Amino acid sequence: MKPGTPGGLDAVETGPLPSDAPTRTVAPQSATPSDHPSVAALVARFGDAIRRHRVSAGDQTVVWIDPAKNLEVLRWLKDDPTQLYDMMSDVTGVDYGTGTVDVVYQMFSTMHKRALRVRCELPVSALEIDSVAGLWHSADWLEREVYDLFGVTFRGHPDPRRILMPDDYAEGHPLRKDFPLRGRFSRAEQTRRALAQDVERFYTPTDLQHGGPPQEVLASGHGAPGESGGAA
Amino acid sequence: MGQKTLEFAVGRNPEMGVSGRPTASPLAPFDIAEPEFDTQKMLINIGPQHPATHGVLRLVCELDGETVLSVVPHIGFLHSSFEKLGEYRTWNQIVPLTDRMDYLAPLIYNCAYVMSVEKLMGIEVTERCKVVRVICMELDRIFGHLLWLGTTAIDVGAFTPFLYAFQQREKIYTLHEALTGARITTSATRVGGMMADLPTGWIEALVDFLDKFPKTLGEIDHLLTTNQIHIGRTQGIGAISRTDAINYGLTGPNLRATGVDYDVRKDRPYYDYETYDFDVPVGEHGDCYDRYLCRMEEMRQSVRILRQAIARLPGGPINVADPNISLPSKTDCMSDMESMIHHFKLITEGIKAPEGDCYYAVEGSKGELGMYIVAEEGSTKPVRWRVRPPSFVNLSVIAKLAEGHLVSDLIMINASLDIVLGEIDR
Amino acid sequence: MGLGDILPGGGVSKSEGGLFGAGGPTFLTTKLDFVINWGRANSLWPMPFGTACCAIEMMAAAASNFDLARFGMERMSFSPRQADVLICAGRVPYKLAPVLRRIWDQMPQPKWCVSMGACASSGGVFDVYSMVQGIDTIVPVDVYVPGCPPRPEGLIYGLMMIQEKIRQESLGKHFEHRAEDPADVARPEAEELEIVGLTGPFGNSTQQDQLSDGVAVRAGEGRPKTS
Repeated sequence: MKPGTPGGLDAVETGPLPSDAPTRTVAPQSATPSDHPSVAALVARFGDAIRRHRVSAGDQTVVWIDPAKNLEVLRWLKDDPTQLYDMMSDVTGVDYGTGTVDVVYQMFSTMHKRALRVRCELPVSALEIDSVAGLWHSADWLEREVYDLFGVTFRGHPDPRRILMPDDYAEGHPLRKDFPLRGRFSRAEQTRRALAQDVERFYTPTDLQHGGPPQEVLASGHGAPGESGGAA
Repeated sequence: MGQKTLEFAVGRNPEMGVSGRPTASPLAPFDIAEPEFDTQKMLINIGPQHPATHGVLRLVCELDGETVLSVVPHIGFLHSSFEKLGEYRTWNQIVPLTDRMDYLAPLIYNCAYVMSVEKLMGIEVTERCKVVRVICMELDRIFGHLLWLGTTAIDVGAFTPFLYAFQQREKIYTLHEALTGARITTSATRVGGMMADLPTGWIEALVDFLDKFPKTLGEIDHLLTTNQIHIGRTQGIGAISRTDAINYGLTGPNLRATGVDYDVRKDRPYYDYETYDFDVPVGEHGDCYDRYLCRMEEMRQSVRILRQAIARLPGGPINVADPNISLPSKTDCMSDMESMIHHFKLITEGIKAPEGDCYYAVEGSKGELGMYIVAEEGSTKPVRWRVRPPSFVNLSVIAKLAEGHLVSDLIMINASLDIVLGEIDR
Repeated sequence: MGLGDILPGGGVSKSEGGLFGAGGPTFLTTKLDFVINWGRANSLWPMPFGTACCAIEMMAAAASNFDLARFGMERMSFSPRQADVLICAGRVPYKLAPVLRRIWDQMPQPKWCVSMGACASSGGVFDVYSMVQGIDTIVPVDVYVPGCPPRPEGLIYGLMMIQEKIRQESLGKHFEHRAEDPADVARPEAEELEIVGLTGPFGNSTQQDQLSDGVAVRAGEGRPKTS
């Protein structure tokens, strides 16, 4: 047990640590020299915005970029004819529990048959990054999920709502390391809140277009379907 | 490598327009102009508990008459927090979680997960293990597609294929059970190998299944492929272009139906898939009918791969010999001090991983199934275990596909995407 | 006023007796019970509330090899208003809990509930922030089918137990049988203190080195005292 870790019943609130939690070693600047063609091109074009890069798990190239320039770098990776990463396979987050949350982009070029992983390190105090949903539609839901589970705000996202947890979920962002496995509330409280949810509450597409707040069907003046509840 | 693609022999109905409706209705000799009505947009809700949503999916549709103006899918009704749970489990303990994620093709998930961990740890599994895993994955591709076939056929009003498909699925259930002891929740793999080697007579049973399965598949094919009702309900419905499909991140049969021949087995080959002789079926129109054809053909190709894999199945051990990874045999455990210590260390501590992150993609039955694992130096549990969910990304396209179609087509479009909510919501 | 007050001899408070005898259930009511229960038990219409893996086994139970129709459950009723048995197959997260409760509320009486699988019955392996720890906190459950997932035979056996339970019902105990609140039907027999002792805050058989107080112990260090 590391000094400073809460013990006893306090730890129940924070939840057990995921592992024996050794101090995080920062990935060395290119442990193995990468011969990935995109890395050299990225460094040549963006210079300091490419913070470091390395080869992970044998042959996978990871590039850490400046989170402030993620949109610029990723747009170039998508559109430049030498790169053409047209498929955004995955957008996800990683919380190490050490004050940073990484946003991870997995990209693949169907033209050149190349994969690249781009990561942006964000401090927990300022979890904000530009959305890339305008470049890849697949990033739309994936970024919503990262927002839902990690609390990363994506600037310019067309539909920034929670996606997996209920809209009015009050316990926080579950995949953060400071979130206990069983949630912050007691089971009884969780059940009470769950049953108090309004199953007829949902967004109308028109409201989404205007980016308005969540509306209830009856209140928004649309025809109220009689059986609009959970049981279809 | 030679990307062989396959053209479908079935012709398309020229009378069907792009929208899937007959271009010239034979029933309309009088060209009556439709009167103008003041219509009001209507909002209807499908799900979360609805037989046609294939799980607990909620679709909120805005309708003009019967035409879908827009769809807002609501997911998360099956959010079981697998990824959070995985951070509290050792590497091998995560395996039972993976098959509860996609219960339609569980062995693919078992294999994909351990393959990713092995990649991270730099473990090279034995040749026999590779072939056995290929067999497992291809068998479950058939398994997953059969369920899709049966339930989707129900959605367009055909009940017989469901019964046929489930009869074949029962045979795969039996194979699962002989291999792993469970019908669905297989948990067959372990880091560095399999839970157990193939039982005696299993390959013979598999060969028997492979001999009989194509006949049933042909019967289902006969019932649906040239069926006018099925064609009318699927051709031209939910079409998407190649560029859009890639941009939306579609993978698997949904992407290949548009004509893009991206298949992880060919493009990022693993487990010597490049040495197997099989074709990647691609469609042309990217509509529900082409997705159907792609999946039907994939099952036939899986049978081909299975036959080749059985022919080349080598002997030898199935688990790696490293005592820090594989459990020793029970006999050794009881008689050999060193084995017992290894056993104790493996059970109580688990396998230690190097620092790093690893994204490993396999071709699941729904599409590119990626497992992203982040580990710290010496950690026995993942810092982050992320599943790149193919159905999640595939489902996000439904709003685009359904726009302008009828409500009944929305059901077909939803079914044709082959979603599994356990993996969408995780 | 319940049915027990109307029917002759059915009420527990009526010691005067009914048509055919004094005290307790009479010939007429037992025969009436028998006929009604016979009809109810053999024409159950299940409402499949399938969410996850168990739903696939439920489909397998309804498909050709196992053929649930043999038990009078030919018609899977996808509408709760025309259903008798709620088969809750699979995990139920908190987000789905109000949906489950509403479906239960929409089902007309008499109705029964089968909790199929470990996750529906107890939360199963998913002892996490998002999952309901057993649907008996949401709806009253009549039969729990264990297994992860249960085999189709298991589900069929559970449904046969529902039939058996229906055969034992009596109109005189209308309100007891037809309770809507889970707290009214299933009270554990153990004392509350005993239950607390058994549960433990975060007891978990698969995770021996993560104890309730969050202290990660390495092998050989032994478990710290929890009391």
